[in-house]
Amino acid sequence: MIELFDVTRRFGDETAVDRISLRVERGEFCVLVGTSGCGKSTTLRMINRLIEHSEGEIHLDGQPIRDFQEDQLRRRIGYAIQSTGLFPHWTVGRNIGLVPRLLQWSGSRIQERVEALMDLLGLPPEFAHKYPHQLSGGQAQRVGVARALAADPEILLMDEPFGALDPITRQTLQGELRDLQARLGKTIVFVTHDMDEALTLADRLVVMHEGRIVQQGRPTELLRAPANDFVASLLGGDDRGLKEAALIRVEERMLPVAPEAEGMPMVRRHATVNQALSLMLWHHTRHLLVVDEDDSPVGQLSLDVLMHKARHE
Amino acid sequence: MSRDARPNRVLVSLMSLGLLTWLGLDALSVAPNRLVQGTPLSPVEALGWMVTLLGAMFMACVVWLAWRPSSARLWTALGLVTGLLVAMPLWLSGAVVAVLDPDMPQARVGIGPGLWVLLFLWLLVLVELRIRLRLRRVWVWSLLLFVIAIWGMALSQWLTPLALVQEYQARSEQFLEAVLYHLALVGAAVGASLLIGLGMALAMRRFDGLRRLGFGVLNSLQTIPSLALFGLLLAPLAWLGNQVQWLGALGVSGIGWAPAWLALVAYSLLPMVRNTYVALEGVDPGVIESARGMGMSPVQVFFQVRLPLALPVMLEGIRITTVQAIGLTAVAALIGAGGLGTFIFQGLGQAAMDLVLLGALPIIAMALVADALLGALAERMRRREAA
Repeated sequence: MIELFDVTRRFGDETAVDRISLRVERGEFCVLVGTSGCGKSTTLRMINRLIEHSEGEIHLDGQPIRDFQEDQLRRRIGYAIQSTGLFPHWTVGRNIGLVPRLLQWSGSRIQERVEALMDLLGLPPEFAHKYPHQLSGGQAQRVGVARALAADPEILLMDEPFGALDPITRQTLQGELRDLQARLGKTIVFVTHDMDEALTLADRLVVMHEGRIVQQGRPTELLRAPANDFVASLLGGDDRGLKEAALIRVEERMLPVAPEAEGMPMVRRHATVNQALSLMLWHHTRHLLVVDEDDSPVGQLSLDVLMHKARHE
Repeated sequence: MSRDARPNRVLVSLMSLGLLTWLGLDALSVAPNRLVQGTPLSPVEALGWMVTLLGAMFMACVVWLAWRPSSARLWTALGLVTGLLVAMPLWLSGAVVAVLDPDMPQARVGIGPGLWVLLFLWLLVLVELRIRLRLRRVWVWSLLLFVIAIWGMALSQWLTPLALVQEYQARSEQFLEAVLYHLALVGAAVGASLLIGLGMALAMRRFDGLRRLGFGVLNSLQTIPSLALFGLLLAPLAWLGNQVQWLGALGVSGIGWAPAWLALVAYSLLPMVRNTYVALEGVDPGVIESARGMGMSPVQVFFQVRLPLALPVMLEGIRITTVQAIGLTAVAALIGAGGLGTFIFQGLGQAAMDLVLLGALPIIAMALVADALLGALAERMRRREAA
């Protein structure tokens, strides 16, 4: 659990972060989002003391972070950044084993851990002997995440880790990260300026502007009730309806299959509602047949139900 | 097997120039003794038309091969050039016997401008062939070592009447001593400037004011002519040597190794500090940030991340400094520092050009070897981590 109480950070006369308070529960995926210069990266880096806070208190599981020795604190917190920060003169295996080595694990234990992590992130074992420049952007970022997870930290801090990747790789990695978090139950604080990424990943969305937190809550809460025009426009303005639809899976809205559903255009059950809406527009229809991975029908989706649900939620 | 139909202009012009040099410039000079100016001789006058034409044909052949270069043709050209480089000392050996009058034991043969130019041109041809044929450095160096071995054999066996060899034989012990002394002085200067330079670069990274001041001072040091700097150090060091007993005992005085070493260090500092500073600054900030973020201590970040990543650029600085120091040490002979420069200035004083060469040639060789070795090392490190 991470808690920030009235935390301020000044650089000279400038106040980068202004009296923010935030509480990230254990196992929560918290995304800090905002325009560049809003203080989100500074906030992140105050948590592992890469930047010291000027005022206020930051607690880790109830203990002020200033009670820890800096390096010890950082070895307990995973850290991944946009440029990956992989050491170009070290092999992938050595890069991943960095923190365990700093913690003076035994060689065989490090070896095992590295192999396990590479397996977890879908990196082929022979990659252990490659150098970072031999990897693609997506592979390098996977290594970066593996390295951050190496000593099995409770907390993971990620600063726009997917910012430099192409959209397709980014989406893949976002999905993998979500699954990973669901499986490992890590507490993640994630910084991004990409609202779609933030909406996809976040349990808790924290919108920052000019060093302050403007609004925080579950993504749907923010979409439904943005605190002001800034949050509304950041969330996509008139596109908010579709952005919200993108957070809902088709299977959450489907009804049992009726006999007349035969022959309707099909949509997968794991697709999102905005994809379903797109299909309806495309096929000029108000009804879709919902199918599973084997194309066998599992339900049906109708525009009227979507409208009704949307109104009453 | 790439077949490039267009002529390789570099090879064609180099070898055509070589051909003209061979036929037009004097290859040798013969003097009855050390003091008299020699009589120049052309290749034809030395060993006759037949041999001269044979050499010319080799070179013409390379021009013809380079006109329509293919891989096979360039390999043949490489063979021919190697042949020429090996044949030259043998030709010289023959020529020396032919032109020397056995009744004049004092007579000596000098290598003329033609042969120097040819050697230079052929080595350039070798460089071009290395690039075109994508030869590995190791192969070229083994080839050169082979050529050098043949030269060494010829020089020690048959070329004793050569003026250069006679100058060497007259002072072979001195020569070895001078080479070692030269190397020691260069090594001490580069070593000291590396340590001081690293210290200065580290301090400059920490304190911004020091950075501006430091580079200002080093830049102005660099503008003082070398001889003037040696002169400037004369008085203070002489005073120091007289005042402080143990420094005087060590050999610190106005002349000798002390001012030479100090001046060499002063000159070496700018390239050393600049490269070290740029190298340390140039390390990807993302890498440093993640190193800190992972919980490496400042000492670990420096020795495990920053320094190893800066090393290739730092090596570049060491290379520049070393080559520069090898040359400057020659000038230091003027203030009694010893080294190979001694022969150069003695030779100039006695108008004995071959004595000058005895000093200059090893300096050139040292500079080339140091440059190649350190360059190859830097390239190797860079290639391993090329991003």
